[in-house]
Amino acid sequence: MNERVNRDVGAGATPLDLDAELMLRVKDGDGASFGALLDKHRMAVVHFLYRMVQNRAVAEELAQEVFLRVYRSRETYEPTAKFTTWLFRIATHLALNALRDGKHERVLERLDETSADMPARQVPDVRPSVEQSLVYQDKLDEVRRAVAALPEKQRAAVLMHKYQEMEYTQIAKVLNCSESAVKSLLFRAYETLRARLAHMA
Amino acid sequence: MKCPMETRENDVLLAYSSRKLDAAERSLLDGHVENCAACREFVQAQRAVWDALDAWEAVPVSMDFDRRLYQRIDQQVSWFERAMRPFESLGFRRVVPIAASAGVVLMAGLLLQRTSVTPLAPPRDTAQMESLQPEQLEHALDEMDALSQLSRPVRAGKADSEM
Repeated sequence: MNERVNRDVGAGATPLDLDAELMLRVKDGDGASFGALLDKHRMAVVHFLYRMVQNRAVAEELAQEVFLRVYRSRETYEPTAKFTTWLFRIATHLALNALRDGKHERVLERLDETSADMPARQVPDVRPSVEQSLVYQDKLDEVRRAVAALPEKQRAAVLMHKYQEMEYTQIAKVLNCSESAVKSLLFRAYETLRARLAHMA
Repeated sequence: MKCPMETRENDVLLAYSSRKLDAAERSLLDGHVENCAACREFVQAQRAVWDALDAWEAVPVSMDFDRRLYQRIDQQVSWFERAMRPFESLGFRRVVPIAASAGVVLMAGLLLQRTSVTPLAPPRDTAQMESLQPEQLEHALDEMDALSQLSRPVRAGKADSEM
């Protein structure tokens, strides 16, 4: 496999990341490598999509589509970019399409719902009082509203920067724009978030 | 140092707010932020944003996520791949297409060989004879007969001169 990787990347190029190696094995028909990729990135992709569309069912549906596309593309896969760049490019593309197709309306509805259907993990471990829970929920809703109010590309950039800890160059590749455009997106997004959330300090 | 707010180097302040700068860069900014009200305000507000975003935990992934995914993958897999699945562990996946290709080449070779031993087409003359109609044959015989009659006086004259 190492020979294969070196041949594909070419002399002098940076070595492939482990994920790209796994993907090349998937291309060779190794189903276990696809399972390894799924194990490694499932949570990150679902969480990114959840924060983008803010609906669990829609996020999982989109995440399934992401991994399905990865699997379907195995025959034509070429490690021209970092695997996660490719993965998040697919995820971002699907999320932006879903938001433009009107699924964001479901998102806004969801934000107005009560906390009854919120997952247990979102409540802090220390058993809170009803009042504390309500305060926490209010705070959480405010954060979610602030993020949901960001323009789609700014939102994607912030989520990749904050939660995936991606560098500007990688975000630029995912969003198919320049690094300076990413800096500008993030500057405007954080400016909006500071105006809305700074009082929560 | 120059104020990042004045030089619009917000990415430096963002990195500083999220404590991502290395020790040397951080200590440079530490002193500046302490004395610059604009930068201090930026950093405090940005840290509040980080903390607020940190509080937003994502939902856990459904337990049956993988099962549903593999079900969808299975629906799209071709009959050939499904048939090959039991042999994957034996490395048959690579061998079978090669064997199939070899089979096709072998078949093509056999067909070519068979074509080469096929008898050649009959000579053109024979074909022309076969295609002659009875009228044409009769006409040809008449012509031969006329020619033989023409040649008779020549032969007779020749015989006379020899005598």
